[in-house]
Amino acid sequence: MESDSKLVTRAQSGDQQAFGELVRRHRARVFRLAVSILGREFIPEAEDVAQEVFLKVHHAIKTFRGEAEFSSWIYRITFNQAMNLKARVRFRSPHADETVLNDTASREPLPDRQAETTQRDRVLAECIQTLPEVYQSALRLYYWLDAGVAEAAELLGVPENTAKSYLHRARQLLQVMLKERGYSCD
Amino acid sequence: MTEPETEIDPSEAGIDNLLRSSMAAAVPSLPSDFDQRLMREVRRTSQPLDRYRRILLISYGLVSVLASAVVMRGQGLDWGPIAGMILAPLAAVAAVRSTRRATQLVTLGPGHK
Repeated sequence: MESDSKLVTRAQSGDQQAFGELVRRHRARVFRLAVSILGREFIPEAEDVAQEVFLKVHHAIKTFRGEAEFSSWIYRITFNQAMNLKARVRFRSPHADETVLNDTASREPLPDRQAETTQRDRVLAECIQTLPEVYQSALRLYYWLDAGVAEAAELLGVPENTAKSYLHRARQLLQVMLKERGYSCD
Repeated sequence: MTEPETEIDPSEAGIDNLLRSSMAAAVPSLPSDFDQRLMREVRRTSQPLDRYRRILLISYGLVSVLASAVVMRGQGLDWGPIAGMILAPLAAVAAVRSTRRATQLVTLGPGHK
């Protein structure tokens, strides 16, 4: 399989097929990173981010020097693009509430228990929204998008130990926040 | 759901389980026609002006500048202010373009010229 750097060189000389191959290789991860930053209530916006990222890459690929890995470069663009969008849509109503989409129907609790669980999930979602952006993204990658620590670290552009520490710190903060709001984690 | 890769502290087992159950949902993916739509957009945005349109645009610009200069001169203005009024908007356009380019570089991040 041709390396990214060779494909980049070909794309820099105007080879659309090489650019298409780069898109195929990186589209899924670019989308996952965008979704992890924006949250599950902004999936259509994450698609727009993915498209915008590749248009930017196409526009700027001739100036890419290859000092960093192509993948790191494209994930950095995605992170910035998604963060810019998030700042713009922060005060807009989402397509659906985060908790509505929770798939917690594997067991059928009693109505009281269900209401309590739903309420706790809503509070947890609110607490997550108050965490630093990289913690939120790490949590969504790990717990929702089935990314391992290694993938989360690569997408966020940090060493694996840092990604682990993001997760650890996020869990600690959430525990404290839930406790303050009167919820137990057990 | 991934198996825990991080060494979960026993005191974090509760929040870990809670996050797993609370955040469990279908994993989204890109639509199947994403590539086609993207490549269509790439072609649309990267289509250069053809030679004929470029010549037409440059000619139009030059004629406009010349006509403006003649009209202003006819109104009794000196060549200095006339040159200033023509060059100032061009300088503003250049400044805006360079600012946009600088902003774009910040967005693109490292690894970029």
